[in-house]
Amino acid sequence: MATTVIMPKLGLTMTEGTIERWLKKEGDRVQKGEPLVEIITEKINFQYESPATGILRKILHHEGEVVPVATPIAIIAEEGEVITEMEGIIPAIQEASPSRPVFQGEKREEIPKRIFASPLAKKIAKEKGIDLSTLQGSGPKGRIIQRDVLQAIEHLKLEEVPPPSPIEIPAGKVIPLKGIRKIIAKRMTESFQNAPHFYLSLEVEMTALQDLRERLREEIEKRTGVRLTMTDLLVKISASALRDHPIMNSRFEGDQIHLMGEINIGVAIALEDGLIVPVIHQADKKSLTEISLSLRDLTQRAREGKLSLEDVEGGTFTLSNMGMLGIDKFSPIINPPQCCILGIGRTVEKPVVQGKEISVKPMAWLTLSSDHRIVDGATAAKFLNQVKRLIEDPALLLI
Amino acid sequence: MNLRELTNTEAMAEALREEMIRDPSVFIIGEDLVAHGGIFGQFIGLPQAFPGRVIDTPISETAIVGAGLGAALTGMRPFVDLHFADFTTCAMDEIVNQVAKIRYMFGGQAKIPLVIWAPDGAGLSAAAHHSQSLEAWFIHTPGLKVVSPCFPYDVKGLIKASIRSDDPIIFFMHKKIFSSKGPVPAEEYLIPLGKAEIKRKGKDVTLIAYSIMVLHALEAAKELEKEGIDVEVLDLRTLWPMDWESIAESVTKTHRVLIAHEACVTCGFGAEISARIQEELFDELDAPILRVGAYRVPIPFSPPLERFVIPGKESLIKSIYKILGKEMN
Repeated sequence: MATTVIMPKLGLTMTEGTIERWLKKEGDRVQKGEPLVEIITEKINFQYESPATGILRKILHHEGEVVPVATPIAIIAEEGEVITEMEGIIPAIQEASPSRPVFQGEKREEIPKRIFASPLAKKIAKEKGIDLSTLQGSGPKGRIIQRDVLQAIEHLKLEEVPPPSPIEIPAGKVIPLKGIRKIIAKRMTESFQNAPHFYLSLEVEMTALQDLRERLREEIEKRTGVRLTMTDLLVKISASALRDHPIMNSRFEGDQIHLMGEINIGVAIALEDGLIVPVIHQADKKSLTEISLSLRDLTQRAREGKLSLEDVEGGTFTLSNMGMLGIDKFSPIINPPQCCILGIGRTVEKPVVQGKEISVKPMAWLTLSSDHRIVDGATAAKFLNQVKRLIEDPALLLI
Repeated sequence: MNLRELTNTEAMAEALREEMIRDPSVFIIGEDLVAHGGIFGQFIGLPQAFPGRVIDTPISETAIVGAGLGAALTGMRPFVDLHFADFTTCAMDEIVNQVAKIRYMFGGQAKIPLVIWAPDGAGLSAAAHHSQSLEAWFIHTPGLKVVSPCFPYDVKGLIKASIRSDDPIIFFMHKKIFSSKGPVPAEEYLIPLGKAEIKRKGKDVTLIAYSIMVLHALEAAKELEKEGIDVEVLDLRTLWPMDWESIAESVTKTHRVLIAHEACVTCGFGAEISARIQEELFDELDAPILRVGAYRVPIPFSPPLERFVIPGKESLIKSIYKILGKEMN
């Protein structure tokens, strides 16, 4: 039975998706559950898995096309299986020999069509990632020659679809803005242009939080198999502080400030080709164990490109921890339409004056970026100080 | 540089004269040299200028080549005139079994500074016994170097280089180009053995040729230029050692190859060049390598039949269209 692959609906609000990249070629064998196609929505890059096992017989929508949800985008069928019943949705499908009789239940062996191409054409096509089966040969007897491949490359360039890019980026190379990069560019520009940012920084002592992590680590690891991280603790602390300062947990939409009913904390995760912010929903109602498990799961799926739209939707506050990247202090850009984002720097042992004494303590910088349309300095300062108190005295979380 | 227009015959005579003046061990041996100045006139004046160093022989190629070989072994630098390349058959044992092998069999202790000059080629209605192009036999024979230039400049430089070489050389020269002219410097120069030369730069197809086919190739290129086809003409000049670097460089540039010789296509030198290209440069090829040569028949005496059998400009043009996948107008 042939299976029609449709544009998935990855979230409640999704109406259309862009085919970013086919991970399989026509004629490739795919297993059910194997990544098949990369789809981009307004918010995420998503690797859609094959819904069936078989041969990817026909790709109906190619890379770069924007397709409404539930539109057929490909057909998976067994080798030799006639897929004429799908012709209604495949205007341009071309069977190799549609007139050949097919006996049901008998496996017909399909002889793959031999492509005639000159050695040079083959070499260039291989180097540039051109699929020779898509070309029409202009040489003797319809042979694909150098000229045909060069024209195809030229054509691709015009369509702004670069061939699979080499790893090193030569000087002067132009990288077209697409995929996740395009989303980041759009959203960050929007935020920086529309939300008047202001930044508050303070330094916190990390001794207590480090101690707490040491004490809880083993227990949490025993229960869940997951290592407790500073980020997990900071999610918990932020959620707790937000409960006391509901104005910070808001969104600026239209001409209105919306106080949000749920405290959903997004955590910025760096990917190879961009940045994504999966959300821990109702973080204030979750235990540290739950937060830890949830964040680990989200991180892992983010790296595999397997986040669903729900995973990245509904955030009300964002944490960005650049400590592991060796950054002392930075001013993050608000993740719109949220009110603020908290940037955490690395923890460094440094001399601190306490009373009349100088002692060495682990210290870290916090910077809170806030949208001045929603809050003012004093409000934001109170919130940030609350975060500081909780970090320096995490026992307050129990209250 | 002081350039003069010389014929191939004049260029060769000048080369011989210069080398005979330069080196007293150089001498010329063959038939009808003193009496007639050679049957094509290459040696006119030399018997008088160098008394005793231009030697007439009886009609025996076996004896002529054998004498040349013996003289070379004793330190002389003989230049043997065979009249026709076709007559090498009478001296095959001397050439193939002795001349070609002695340096090897003597463990390098002997030198064979011998040049066998052999006019070849068809087109003069000289019939089957006097019209062959036999270079492939000698390229096939280890120990021999084979030269086959086309222009007076190359002929002079290569005759001089051949006379000075310590290896035995079969020097072919097409009979139809004897009187064709070209610029030759008055100053002394040599052309190294084993170096091809691009006679016309082009980017669409490489036409590898030698001897008279270079002239046809240049004419074909000129005609194709009007059709927007840019042919590169590579003149091998020396056939063995083969100048692989020049061939590879040109093929890598144009990705299409035509090889032309007047010898028959079957087992001709084109087969060797073609095989080597596909072995080493397969991925550079954008079209099959084609060859142009004579049919595998004895060269006819009848002028129309002879013209039909041997290749010329038209067959080159036809093959280039085929390589480019274009229709001929």
